[in-house]
Amino acid sequence: MGQEQILFYFFGASVLISALCVVLMRNLVRSIFLFFVTLFCLAALYLFALADFIALSQVVIYAGGVLVLMLFAFMLSSRELLNSIKPAVSGFKVNHLAGILTSILFLFILFRVIIKTNFNQLMWIQKSIPITSNENTAHQIGIHIMTAYLLPFEILSIFLLMVLIGAAHLARKGGKE
Amino acid sequence: MIPVAHFMFISASLFCIGLYAVLTRRNTIQILIGIEFMINAAVLNFVAFGKYDKISGGGQMFALFAIVLAAAGVAVALAIILNVYRYFKSIDPTKTDTLKN
Amino acid sequence: MEVLSFTENTGLIALLVAILPFFSFVFILSSNKQKGANFALSTSALSFLLSLHLFLQIWNAEPEHVQLSWFQVAKVQFFAGVLLNNLSVLMMVLVSGISVLVHIYSREYMKNDPNLNRYWAYLNLFCFSMIGLVISDSLLLIYLFWELVGFSSYLLIGFWFNKNAASQAAKKAFIMNRIGDLGFLIGILIIYAQFQTLDLVSLFGDKGLLSSSFIENGLWISGSRNMPEIWLSIAGFSFFLGAMAKSAQFPLHAWLPDAMEGPTSISSLLHAATMVAAGVFLIARIYSVFDPLVLDIMVWIGAFTAFMAATIALTQNDIKRILAYSTISQLGFMVMALGIGAYSESIFHLTTHAFFKCLLFLAAGSVIHQLHHYSIKNSHGFDYQDIRFMGGLRKRMPFAFLGMCLASAALVGLPLTSGFLSKDSILIRTFEWAASREGVFVILPWIMVLTSWLTAFYIFRLIFRVFFSESREIKLDKLAHINDSPSSMTYVLIILSFFCTFIVFALNPVSFESSWLWKGFQLSVIKETRFFHWLVPLIINLGSILLIMFAYRIYVLDKSSKLTVGSWLYQISIRGWFFNEIYDFMFVKSVEKLAQIIYQFDRVVIDGLVIALATITQLLSSISHWFDRKVVDGLVNATGVFSGYIGRFFRTFQSGRLQHYLITMLLFVLSFFILSYLI
Repeated sequence: MGQEQILFYFFGASVLISALCVVLMRNLVRSIFLFFVTLFCLAALYLFALADFIALSQVVIYAGGVLVLMLFAFMLSSRELLNSIKPAVSGFKVNHLAGILTSILFLFILFRVIIKTNFNQLMWIQKSIPITSNENTAHQIGIHIMTAYLLPFEILSIFLLMVLIGAAHLARKGGKE
Repeated sequence: MIPVAHFMFISASLFCIGLYAVLTRRNTIQILIGIEFMINAAVLNFVAFGKYDKISGGGQMFALFAIVLAAAGVAVALAIILNVYRYFKSIDPTKTDTLKN
Repeated sequence: MEVLSFTENTGLIALLVAILPFFSFVFILSSNKQKGANFALSTSALSFLLSLHLFLQIWNAEPEHVQLSWFQVAKVQFFAGVLLNNLSVLMMVLVSGISVLVHIYSREYMKNDPNLNRYWAYLNLFCFSMIGLVISDSLLLIYLFWELVGFSSYLLIGFWFNKNAASQAAKKAFIMNRIGDLGFLIGILIIYAQFQTLDLVSLFGDKGLLSSSFIENGLWISGSRNMPEIWLSIAGFSFFLGAMAKSAQFPLHAWLPDAMEGPTSISSLLHAATMVAAGVFLIARIYSVFDPLVLDIMVWIGAFTAFMAATIALTQNDIKRILAYSTISQLGFMVMALGIGAYSESIFHLTTHAFFKCLLFLAAGSVIHQLHHYSIKNSHGFDYQDIRFMGGLRKRMPFAFLGMCLASAALVGLPLTSGFLSKDSILIRTFEWAASREGVFVILPWIMVLTSWLTAFYIFRLIFRVFFSESREIKLDKLAHINDSPSSMTYVLIILSFFCTFIVFALNPVSFESSWLWKGFQLSVIKETRFFHWLVPLIINLGSILLIMFAYRIYVLDKSSKLTVGSWLYQISIRGWFFNEIYDFMFVKSVEKLAQIIYQFDRVVIDGLVIALATITQLLSSISHWFDRKVVDGLVNATGVFSGYIGRFFRTFQSGRLQHYLITMLLFVLSFFILSYLI
């Protein structure tokens, strides 16, 4: 097993473990901070798929945007929000069990699909030219955005604007009357 | 080389963890985090397969779009959560059971 | 044309004779006024006059037969009509004539009765049915009127129905007559089965079906039909049974003495003169149906009845009962006479008997009437019908006394009376008939002679007791208050007395062959023996006179007699041969037993069944109740509860919680996946 593999599995394991911790953690603040770890590890995994630009934007957008937004969201809002979050009346409810069962079932099915599928045999994978590790993907992406994916890009920008306005409108304090 | 299937395993596991959070958590923010997990699992898949799509770069492009969209979604969702909290004095989804007062 | 209209008129007049009393019956019943007496009297007088007219026209002339089609059953036509021959016109005159006399008598006798209107109505109903009976030309009609006669007799016996004895007597008469009516009906049915007609002329006429039917090889053959020989005898006996009940022959005689509970005028008309003669009339009317066997039965029953009733009459103390038993005895004579074939003698005796027995009753009624008044006036508690309390009335009531004497002489058969002609003719015929038979029949005439002597004794016992010896109850000084009855009653007695003499029936007082009435029915087939014609009356009259003297010795001169109260012969006689007791024991008791058994059967078996059924039903219903409660309701409830559970179960899906919906949705999606893998 080479260095690459060890790192990959390490990051993969930490993604899963941190994600589990995020999910199971009672304390919301802790779980949000653990969410950081998950996102960073994921970004690391993207690198192993030779998507350096994506990894970068993941770190920038999530770690720098989403998470800060989240922390802001409840830290800047009222105290009661924090208080109400804390206790989270626990108990192994039917709901809980059903959720676990559903998730595990889903996991099984997915695993089964993945195992059954031999990816190297797939036609489009065999025909394709894989990205090599010495290429500059940022350059490629820039070209793609401005050529083939121009329309989605523009739509996305407009969409983002709408979200910006909408979020600002919603988050307005005492914004009803 | 890391085989694609391993990415798949990780992403599937992550998706299921996200699913679990969505289904069982009684905190809206944690549910939101679960949704983020699931989006990230999808992005991981995009990226993993994007490795074999050098010409059109579809996998990485859509991964990018997905990340942006997810971020936008989070922004809106948080705004909604705040409003819901203001109204119901709770962010437990089980207690917010009316759409219109 | 002339003949036809004459015939039609005769039939119409006969109908009118019958209908007039019916009209008066309806009129009296429907009007509340107390004018019934005059109306009834006038209609009965008119009816009598019309029947007299008919009598003069028909007597010894061609019989008239008028009939109309009545109704049709299948192919058999039934006729209703009027048959007038010597017999029926004689009976018609007899009935309507005596009825007029009784009407006149009753006006006085029943004067103070509160229900007088009802009395007249019933009396006229009786007249209607009796005249209808004698003129009817078909067995069916005769049967109808027969029943009506029985019914009106029932009504009249029970006229004083608030008296228990009267209502009991009425019931007894009715039930005993029922037995006879049943016999009559059976006879009619047999005749109908054999001949398919009930018309009297075609059945019993000279060339009727019965005389043309014959018996061969044990079969009774008539035309194409036949039935076993025995049925002829059965038919004859059935008709005779009907006659027996009506004419109070043994063993159906017990009702007549009890029938004396009715008013005395009724007793004289119905139970002495006319109605009881209906049985004899019926036998005479359908005479050809009786075969030798039945005729022999008739002979013995008639003779036995005559003898038995005479012995009973010896000791009775009730004046009316003595006369009732005397009536039974005389009817026995008539029936026996018919049995031996002395047809005309029997009818002759019927006619004369009607008059003198009516006179006897009316005279007795007169005595009773006066004593009744006396006992009411002096509030004496004695029984005014008991001859032991009477006596010495000869001087106070001469007309009643003379009437009674004359009637008694006729009853005994003393010379110069009508009874001498008719009764002795029967006895002579009996001797002649017995001479032609052998064996046990030889004693028959001697029984009749003995009966005749007994008659003399008992009737003069009555006369001596009532009119001669001193009263045991009524003091002589009080006798001054008793007179003969009012004049109208007395006139009736005088008229009837006239009819008890020989002169009405024959010019020659000693020869019944010279009687116009006897000549009217030339049917006798008995070989005559001149020898008997003077010997028999002689024997009888000598014996009778001796016995009358004996009675005089005992009852007037108060000499002791052998016939003491204590002796068993006396007991048999006074208790009427214990027939009431025997019937009570044989029929009433056994019926009661049967009723008790049936009652027990009802109680135990029927009720038991019903109760068992009820219990079973109850059990079944409780089972079904349980079933309903537990199973049916259970099923329904289970359905409800199940639906409730399902609803509750599905309600959990509709919690309004987003996560639940999500889980559900995912589970379904997953299950599709799983299924697609499994399959």
